[in-house]
Amino acid sequence: MGAIITLSLLGILLLYLGLYKAKNALLPVTLLGLLVALGFEVSEWGKEAAPVYHGMVLFDHFALSFSMLCILLTALTLFLSKAYFSAISNNVAEYYCLIVFSLTGALLVSSYHNFAMLFIGIEIMSVALYILAGIRKKDLYSNEASLKYFIMGAFSTGFLLFGITLLYGATGTFDLAGVRQYVIDTQQISPLFYGGILLLLIGLCFKVGAAPFHFWTADVYDGSPILVTIFMSTVVKVASFAGFLRLFDYVFGALNEFWTPVLLVVIVITLFVGNISAMMQTSFKRMLAYSSIAHAGYMLFAILSLGPNAASSVFVYALAYSLSSIVGFGALILVKKSQGSDQFLAFNGLGKSNPLLAAIVALAMFSLAGIPLTAGFIGKFMMFTGVMGDYHVVLLALAAINAIIGVFYYLRVIVHMYFKTAEEGAETVVMPLNFKAVFIIAAILTLAVGIYPDCLIGLF
Amino acid sequence: MTAFYFVAFLSIFFALMTIFTKNPVHSVLYLVITFFTFTVHYIMLNAQFLAVVNFIVYMGAIMVLFLFVLMLLNLNKDTEPMKSNLVKIMGAVAGMCLLATFLGAFRVIELDNGFVTGNSDVGLVKNLGKVLFDEFLLPFELSSILLLTAMVGAILLAKKETKEA
Repeated sequence: MGAIITLSLLGILLLYLGLYKAKNALLPVTLLGLLVALGFEVSEWGKEAAPVYHGMVLFDHFALSFSMLCILLTALTLFLSKAYFSAISNNVAEYYCLIVFSLTGALLVSSYHNFAMLFIGIEIMSVALYILAGIRKKDLYSNEASLKYFIMGAFSTGFLLFGITLLYGATGTFDLAGVRQYVIDTQQISPLFYGGILLLLIGLCFKVGAAPFHFWTADVYDGSPILVTIFMSTVVKVASFAGFLRLFDYVFGALNEFWTPVLLVVIVITLFVGNISAMMQTSFKRMLAYSSIAHAGYMLFAILSLGPNAASSVFVYALAYSLSSIVGFGALILVKKSQGSDQFLAFNGLGKSNPLLAAIVALAMFSLAGIPLTAGFIGKFMMFTGVMGDYHVVLLALAAINAIIGVFYYLRVIVHMYFKTAEEGAETVVMPLNFKAVFIIAAILTLAVGIYPDCLIGLF
Repeated sequence: MTAFYFVAFLSIFFALMTIFTKNPVHSVLYLVITFFTFTVHYIMLNAQFLAVVNFIVYMGAIMVLFLFVLMLLNLNKDTEPMKSNLVKIMGAVAGMCLLATFLGAFRVIELDNGFVTGNSDVGLVKNLGKVLFDEFLLPFELSSILLLTAMVGAILLAKKETKEA
């Protein structure tokens, strides 16, 4: 709880800093605040977890670890933000404030124990992002991204709320423990409850960007400023998955015969839509956007094959995916700044002009593709093992095909970097210190988790 | 019961009129009437607070704002985007599927499952306040962050940029 209070206050503090024009203090204060929040999370680790505040929130290891991951990823993202936001406009304080509030929402989504909290958390997280997606006011794509995200998001929230209402109609409670008790105790479960599950599934699939509810993803990720896209595709996705998993694992787990077929269809469509569309792209940014849809499909595996390992596999996968995304999009910021384009062609010759950056991007792509010795491999391995335990053989075969498609388009980036030469007179990509630091941290974590994954798996 | 069915019929009728009428201003006016019938529903359910809020905020503030925006935009038939028939058919099929799912869910609803008639005074302002400031205090406080976010965002997006990007 300390972390949530800290972040709420931090957001307001940032607004005041903006008011008094303390531009240079913004980034350090934000990072300091995140550090304090992280400290609160660590201090709550290992204590006896019980729902607090009339059963509204529960800070168990699941919630704490996902919260920490979100805070860490936000910190990494913000490291990249130096001089990025001030190039867009003068209202930098508001941007930081919105990001911090969005993070608060993410923390709520990963630690909720009541549907009211789930709803408020998702709304806080999304509303801040609707705005952040549109901060380039003169850019039509940014406007489109913001509007599309807003309309689709509002729509999906409608589904979510309707689902919650139906569940309330069947059980008479918003409390997760109460709903779980209903599922276990009741012989004849009300049809309202099934309708509620379906609507919640739709609402959450919207939020994580799984097909066939993915239509907003590509345009929004593509149109938003890259730094906002990083935040969206990492923190928000991680938190949404945490919320998704908690709900389906803890509450609906006993009814999995009902929703497994639906989820199975969603996963298969998501994998194919994400991977095949990603393969068609010529723009690096759009490719990453579609690949994020595909990764959402892999992460849904854990929800399909619930069990003691579900939480740790989502955690590892989300960490691997997020680190690589930060590197991928971060490199794109640099490349776009020097080449002025976000196509694959802009990466030509990067292997020669900036070997360190190229090597780290290559590592990130390997991790996304799931090549051994990277974190992405461990994540995929855990996901596939989980599904294998449930004998979803057809799904496994389809997933393997998709993994191969994935390798194809991730390697294309590497081919462009190492085996194509840049055009004559192209500017070389320079890597500022803050980017270098973030990339190296991400690369080390990717390798560390890839080589010694037990350090994370033991958390749960 | 008769009163309920009459008001429910009016809600559905005006909701349908909202989507079928061609003129956007008429459409909004029908929506206002639809919201009014909701207010009547709330009163019949003894949910006074909801009824008042729905009346003042939705019908009064939001819908009037809507109407102003529409009038300022000066929408008329020419600016209405053309939708292909395929999209219309797809929309109709999808909507009917949703309706079928709901009807399936509502099929064997017990009108009296204990939550409906358990405490008929729960919608009174006093009881609502007791729940809101005791059991649901945390979500209530946190919604202030939501509102602050929305406010910051609205000003951020609407304010004129002093420096060119």
